Amino acid sequence: MREETVLLVEGLNVEFNKKSILKNISFEVKRGEIVAVVGPNGAGKTTLFKAILGITPFRGEVKVLDKPVRKVLHRIGYVPQGFSFDKSFPLKVREFLSLAIPSEKYYRIDEVLNEVELQEKKETLLGELSGGQVQRALIARALINEPDILLLDEATAGVDLEAETGMYELIRHLNIEHGVTALVITHEINMAYKFATQVICLNKDLYCYGTPKEKITEELLSRLYGKDVVMRGHSH
Amino acid sequence: MQRALISGVIISVLLSLVGTFVVLRNMAFFADGIAHASLSGVAIGIVASVNPLYTALVIGVIFSVVIHYIQKSHKIASDTAIGIIFATGMALGVLIISRRSGYQPELFSFLFGNILTIRTSEVWMLGIGGSLILIFVLKNIKPLTLMSLDSEMAYVSGMKAGMLELILNAVLAVVVVMGIKILGVVLVSALLVIPVAASKIIAGSFRSLILNGIIISVITVLSGMLISYYLDYPAGPTVVLTGTGIFVLTAVFNFTSKVFSKVI
Repeated sequence: MREETVLLVEGLNVEFNKKSILKNISFEVKRGEIVAVVGPNGAGKTTLFKAILGITPFRGEVKVLDKPVRKVLHRIGYVPQGFSFDKSFPLKVREFLSLAIPSEKYYRIDEVLNEVELQEKKETLLGELSGGQVQRALIARALINEPDILLLDEATAGVDLEAETGMYELIRHLNIEHGVTALVITHEINMAYKFATQVICLNKDLYCYGTPKEKITEELLSRLYGKDVVMRGHSH
Repeated sequence: MQRALISGVIISVLLSLVGTFVVLRNMAFFADGIAHASLSGVAIGIVASVNPLYTALVIGVIFSVVIHYIQKSHKIASDTAIGIIFATGMALGVLIISRRSGYQPELFSFLFGNILTIRTSEVWMLGIGGSLILIFVLKNIKPLTLMSLDSEMAYVSGMKAGMLELILNAVLAVVVVMGIKILGVVLVSALLVIPVAASKIIAGSFRSLILNGIIISVITVLSGMLISYYLDYPAGPTVVLTGTGIFVLTAVFNFTSKVFSKVI
């Protein structure tokens, strides 16, 4: 199962106002992998996801399941960074999830809510959820069409440590139980180390692509973030 | 009066339904801009001796498409684009009508609304056009809602978000211009917003937001029209003030029931 290429990115370049945002990015993601995407602010991580999805124009090639992305968008689940909405707008979690599916697939609403442990909030208004619960609702929405690949852009931003760990445990659970391939943008290097099978280090250029143990070194992180980095190991 | 009441019901349903997306997408200024800009279409109709409602519809849709593409260029902010169209359309309308000498009662009725002058052909147009718009909105309610919440999410769900947005803008222009006959250029956008705002206070779900909004809108327009007819007040302001009154009553009712439920 691990040999199938789910996502292929070749020679991806993104420019804005003649300024290079991403330069010649190439990597391949196999089925069943959890890939952490790390890099400083402004490195182009969100732009990478938006280029993969076709939201941002780019030069190069991107294929999902060996097809152009626009043809297989239904096979991709996307959790954006910073989903801002009018909290006073009366939209229940159930209604929000139903926007993504036809009525004959409404049974999936209960299934995904169980997966993300948000079942008791089904009839709650989106505006009444906590930050972590909104993220779970977004993940539920991303899962509802049973995607082959999940793209999560800082899915743990604005949540506490317990919720953050829970979120990564959920991603690992989805990976193990349902074979979901995931790309996760994160600032938490330790989480990348603990949960990811592969890591992409990005700062306009591709600094690394490989296993965290091999690639995440003090020297690499110092080059990536442009400042001295000291890694401290913990044993648990 | 019968024609007025039938038109009132049709337009109130359409304004409320489309108004839900106006509020969700913060488009109240867009609606206002189209309403004012369509005055140029009214003026063209008066000068050319064509039904001004039809010419206003064409001009309104054209302006909505122009605003859409200006917004998409990203070089001009949305409210700037609307402000330009608003002022240009209104100025053009005043300039065109100034070429005609004497008092223009038809222009006045479009500025402030006069439901009693609605013709049978216009009622038919409202009915047929309104039905098509209703079918379109109900058939596309999910993509429209998702696009209004987050256009990137709509795109990633495989929706043609750009095309849908263009069509929604054009539909909004048509509904706004249709509403000008009752409420006038100056006040039509109020009825896109007030019933939905009142509904938002009491709605516990998106479905009830839409349904309550329609009910409140129909009550607002019908009672406002009846008050305006029997007291000989101008229709547009009377309907809007009735809507404001209902909004205030809804807010007060909601507040007092929350206080009572805490006390008891």
